[in-house]
Amino acid sequence: MKRSAAEIVREYGPFAGVEAVHGVTYDGTHVWFASGDRLNAVDPADGKIARSIDVAAHAGTAFDGRHLFQIAEDRIQKIDAATGKVLATIPAPGGGGDSGLAWAEGSLWVGQYRERKIHQVDPQTGKILRTIESKRFVTGVTWVDGELWHGTWEGEDSDIRRIDPETGKVLEQLDLPSGTMVSGLESDGGDHLFCGGGNRGNVRAVRRPRRG
Amino acid sequence: MESLITAAARALQAGDPLGALNRVALRNDAPSLALRGIAMAQLGDLAKAKTLLRSAARAFGPREAVARARCVVAEAEIALVSRDLNWPANTLAAARATLASHGDLANAAHAGHIEARRLLLLGRLDDAERTLTDINSTPLSPASQVARELVIAGIAIRRLRTKDARAALGRAASAARQAGIPALAAEVESASHVLDTPAARLITRGHERPLRLEEVEDLATSEALVVDTFHHAVRRRGILVPLGRRPVLFALARILAQAWPADVSREALITGAFQARHVDESHRARLRVEIGRLRTKLKPLADVSATSQGFALTPHKTPGKTRDVLVLARPVEEKHANVLAFLSDGEPWSSSALALALGTSARTVQRALEELARSNKVQSFGHGRARRWMTPPVPGFPTGLLLPGPLLKT
Repeated sequence: MKRSAAEIVREYGPFAGVEAVHGVTYDGTHVWFASGDRLNAVDPADGKIARSIDVAAHAGTAFDGRHLFQIAEDRIQKIDAATGKVLATIPAPGGGGDSGLAWAEGSLWVGQYRERKIHQVDPQTGKILRTIESKRFVTGVTWVDGELWHGTWEGEDSDIRRIDPETGKVLEQLDLPSGTMVSGLESDGGDHLFCGGGNRGNVRAVRRPRRG
Repeated sequence: MESLITAAARALQAGDPLGALNRVALRNDAPSLALRGIAMAQLGDLAKAKTLLRSAARAFGPREAVARARCVVAEAEIALVSRDLNWPANTLAAARATLASHGDLANAAHAGHIEARRLLLLGRLDDAERTLTDINSTPLSPASQVARELVIAGIAIRRLRTKDARAALGRAASAARQAGIPALAAEVESASHVLDTPAARLITRGHERPLRLEEVEDLATSEALVVDTFHHAVRRRGILVPLGRRPVLFALARILAQAWPADVSREALITGAFQARHVDESHRARLRVEIGRLRTKLKPLADVSATSQGFALTPHKTPGKTRDVLVLARPVEEKHANVLAFLSDGEPWSSSALALALGTSARTVQRALEELARSNKVQSFGHGRARRWMTPPVPGFPTGLLLPGPLLKT
């Protein structure tokens, strides 16, 4: 396992009226984050909120190319990114104990915080397809280049870790400074991972290590 | 953080404890237990809240020290509001230290304010003040600012520094407006009433009038001879003659002061001070002895001179000033006024907590409470160790629950 300190490239926020960031995703142009009662789209170039959708947003956020997925209470809402309308809801696998959310390979991946689990879920029905065990409380999940990354928060420490999707074994770990929280995780498809800063109400861009 | 926990915490923050309970009612993980505990506290079920918070503190793992410490602080606040003064203070101090060392300064300050309120309630004013000074460097939320200023006001009122108390209450009122919590504003307002309602009665030359706390304070610098029924002492400015351990002498001094400048007959002194029904020669002899003792005691302040029918109080002359004699009495005089003063905060007290606060034995307090209960001035509920005493609520010491801020926002 490779372990290193996370390199924080940039910080966005704090944003007016945002107490905490509960989930993060990226639609190719904007970084979306969940702040309780709305989803906010931040332009990563200038760090300003470009748009927002009023919708219950208590935990993980994901994007499948057309729809935003957002966990609220014990369900996952499927939201039309263009209109902001909630098109469908499915039950969340953790029954409300859900935390991170990612979309990859036609499935939703849902972190179950205190159970230290990541579920692969059918986005149509909410059926659990399989479950990966982690060693830590899971706060955010993302897939990039076939790598499964998730955020953790336990005790007072957070890190971002890449795990083997088959065995749950930790392959790589980026430690955040003590007291810095990761709530929500998303890759920009390139060298950066966006992570929510929990009750600091900000979003950070962390460098994703390159592999030779 | 988890979805449903976030939703429930948001409901709690928005003042909707039932909405919070709806979301976590059936869950028994640590954050759910903590949220349920706080919701129950806000709904007034303090016993249930205490149990839930205690289980939550246990359920949080050793690595979740901050969450655990916040539960301890919440439990301490509930203990304070239910006047459970025996709640272990060192547990609160440890939680406070944990919060401070992990950078949760807001909740560490909240813990400090609870500690200061407890010390204030116990009458340990210096310790309360020291605790507040420790918190001084932390920037506080408006709600915390209110809590702090209320403690400052409480200390000032008990030290008879009404200007300081008014200033603190003024700051508390503006912080409460800023916080936008109506319950807090109401609490500040009711605390302010203490300064505007009569705190004592002034009796002089056969007349009496109510005194506000400010006027009581002024007496400390006045040239008048004051017979102080609050402290069972006779004083003028810096000179103090304590008569707390000599009730007969104090009674005589008071009767003489109330009649001043007139004299008081021997019969009136005997019936007033000895509570005798028939005056006989042995009483007259005793009066002579007691007057002699009083004369010795009051030597630095006044003389007790014999007149044709009895005795009169003659305060020593102070240069350039008129002599005056005042009696400072409680607004309504009744037995066990000190017990009633504590109960008048409208909260349920155990007799042992009252004994601790009054610095007397539990048995003495129990007797006083039973006597007060017979005249319907206090009521009790519960049995055995769970028995609590209270009076119908009147404004007084801050009783509201603020509870640790963002308990679950980790």
